[in-house]
Amino acid sequence: MKHRWIMAISIGLLLACAATSLPVSASGARKILSVIVDTTADRSDEAQAISEYLRAVGVSAEVRVWEWSALKERILAGERQMYLTDWGSAYFDPFDLAVPKLKTGDRGNYSFYSNPRFDAALDAALGMSSAEAEARQRVYFEAQDILWEDAPWIFGYALLETEAARADVLDWRPSMDSRINLHDVGLKRGDTIVVGMAGDSILTLDPAAYRDRLTETVIRNMFDGLVTRTPDGRVVPEIAESWTALSDTEYVLKIRRGIKFHNGDALTADDVVFSFDRVIRDGAMGGRTSPRKGLLGTLVAVEKIDSHAVRFRLSSPFSVLLQALVHVQIVPKGYLLSVGDDAFARKPVGCGPFKFVEGRLDDKIVMERFGDYYGGSPDLQPVGPARVKRAIFRMMPDPTVRVAALKTGEVSIIQTVPAHLAANLLRDRNLQVKSAEGTRVYCVEMNCARPPFGDARVRKAMNHAIDWDTILNTIYAGGASRLATAFLPSGFGHNPDLEPYGYDPQKARALLAEAGYGAR
Amino acid sequence: MIRLGRVQVKVIERVVATIPLALAVALAAFVLMRAIPGDPVDIMMGEGASSSEEEMAALRTGLGLDQPIHRQLVVYLKALLRGDLGYSIVRSRPVAQMIREALPATIELAMCAMLFALALGIPVGVVSALKHNTAFDRVSTAVSFIGVSLPAFWLGIVGILVFSMTFGWLPTSGRIAYGMEPRHITGLLTLDALLTGDMTALGNALRHLCLPAAALGLGVAAVVARVTRSSMLDVLGSDYVLFARAKGVPEPAVTTRHALRNAMIPTVTLVGLQFGSLLGGNMIVETIFGWPGLGRVVVDAIFARDYPVVQAAVMVYALTFVGVNLITDLLYTVLDPKMALE
Repeated sequence: MKHRWIMAISIGLLLACAATSLPVSASGARKILSVIVDTTADRSDEAQAISEYLRAVGVSAEVRVWEWSALKERILAGERQMYLTDWGSAYFDPFDLAVPKLKTGDRGNYSFYSNPRFDAALDAALGMSSAEAEARQRVYFEAQDILWEDAPWIFGYALLETEAARADVLDWRPSMDSRINLHDVGLKRGDTIVVGMAGDSILTLDPAAYRDRLTETVIRNMFDGLVTRTPDGRVVPEIAESWTALSDTEYVLKIRRGIKFHNGDALTADDVVFSFDRVIRDGAMGGRTSPRKGLLGTLVAVEKIDSHAVRFRLSSPFSVLLQALVHVQIVPKGYLLSVGDDAFARKPVGCGPFKFVEGRLDDKIVMERFGDYYGGSPDLQPVGPARVKRAIFRMMPDPTVRVAALKTGEVSIIQTVPAHLAANLLRDRNLQVKSAEGTRVYCVEMNCARPPFGDARVRKAMNHAIDWDTILNTIYAGGASRLATAFLPSGFGHNPDLEPYGYDPQKARALLAEAGYGAR
Repeated sequence: MIRLGRVQVKVIERVVATIPLALAVALAAFVLMRAIPGDPVDIMMGEGASSSEEEMAALRTGLGLDQPIHRQLVVYLKALLRGDLGYSIVRSRPVAQMIREALPATIELAMCAMLFALALGIPVGVVSALKHNTAFDRVSTAVSFIGVSLPAFWLGIVGILVFSMTFGWLPTSGRIAYGMEPRHITGLLTLDALLTGDMTALGNALRHLCLPAAALGLGVAAVVARVTRSSMLDVLGSDYVLFARAKGVPEPAVTTRHALRNAMIPTVTLVGLQFGSLLGGNMIVETIFGWPGLGRVVVDAIFARDYPVVQAAVMVYALTFVGVNLITDLLYTVLDPKMALE
């Protein structure tokens, strides 16, 4: 009998304890929203600020810092709630941003966002031909409205890409795709231009064997593509002279005559067919498949029509084909087949403005002006051989060291100047500092598949709770612009009239209350 | 028939004993790399335009990463026994080639840092011991205490700001200026320059070495100074030094021949151990100075989960460490013939 009493009291006590620690207590008081804000080390200051703003609207927030691969695995397992992430776009089109990040079940959809209307809009836009620009834009505007309303992320910002150069570097300007094109650049004195690269190492000198921008920057000074892009993002002809769409899935490209590779071989349709085949066919790189295959979307074959014309065949319409072609560089078929893939990567031969001299991927790559260069795209002045005799790309992973080397004149151009160092460089009369609009979206993703962020009201509250302008001015010295959704102003179909969520803690609290959450 | 001396036999024994050690290290690196989260194919593909799951799966199959771990291990060990270190997943080149390129830079930097540390640490330690409890002793103790506490990356950045940016005496980073490289013999630029008699290259390589070697070596110099000082003090108080002095041996000879030689034994031990930490500490200093060495290759490979590269590099580190320790043990017998290799 006594035992029963003790049991009953214990159970009662346990229940009472459980009730007070549960979000909803028996008295009906609202629960407290409690989140862990996950971040990588480079954005931990920002994460701290965000959690402060969340606390200010009554959320119990705490920051956890991770290594990215470890965090990503937990995110994909659906175990995390809120995480600071970023994603770059190379195509200036939602094709490689909104699609992978927000389409149901796509590769980069870490927020597990799913809205059939949004998916349908993206699919519709992708399936249109590039001729239907207006209709595509309309569909993308609609997609942005849906996104804004659903607020699957705390929408963030794009960082300006800031670079710096010595004052005696002529006609230099950073481009939106963070590429450094040395063909157009001149020097007041001297004939060697040295670039300090913001990275440890490029991955390869083979234009079919990488997927990162650092490598692309170096490679594209030695190799040209069928088309290229102006610094402000327009696609213009390069090796190709013109293109015609025969249908939604068939294009004909005419190839410029008189183009020579660095080894003296003339460039013909065979080289173009070979270069594309090497990217899209499985096992075409000495048994391995090119990691660039996915970049070409629905392209299934490139066929030779005559010595200077090729036909591109797609399995279904692919509206960004021209943007994609920018990223495929043409290699000499004869030379590559005679030396093999490995030797080609050690001694690459292209038809770009500079030819490879020597180099190590994690140290420096040295190139020399190619005297027989055909001149490059007629839409990008100046047309003709490169203006400097020699170009050297040096790997300088540490930003302070890059800045020091620029100040001492060891290098002429440096990539990626952090905001806190840019102010110092601006005061130096021997230097020039310039920025281009960034093509990377920074945001805070929320797990939309689970409570509490399964509720759109809570997600909207998060968007209203954070004062981005203060964060960006403090941490990034203003070198950033806010985004209304996941669409970049530099990309196709961006709606400039859509306003970002405003900082409104009152509204955030109200939305949280509506969703059943109270203040701490 | 060749008669081997005792020392030779011991050396051969030790070398043979490194084989199971190398295998154990290889195994540990193999298993641990796969135990940490992340997938090389995923990291390699990065982001951007759609890479379908099928495409990624095909890449994984091509690399053998879809096999169960024990099968991967068998493949790896078989290749290893043939002397094949494999192919870098991310950089698509043979790992052996990557290591052959990067290792000389790392060894050159570590050796120069060690030389710097010894050249600074031993004299300071000896003088401190001889001038025990004087102002010099106190200042040097204090300075070496600070030296131990300062991290190499901080020293490196301050060195660049002061000596490169403000005074313009030394280059900020890199190994040698373009066009100055001596003919390739060993891969150690200073040694190659000496061998080919290329004095301009030697000068340029040394100028590039100054800051990273000092940044890396200063901490070691401080430890060397402290250890040398205390063992010197020990030895100077011993009976045989007293006896040598009583015999009328001149003081400089007492210090160098009798005291210093014996006092060097703890220092030699320390050098052996510190060499390993120099190789490890390299990773940060190499990144700051854009030094194309193994440390940076490894750090990159770890972040990219480039398994074959990490496995091979860990083994190179382990074997280097064992080799240096063997040399250290041999040095003992030179310093003190009473000691035998154990």
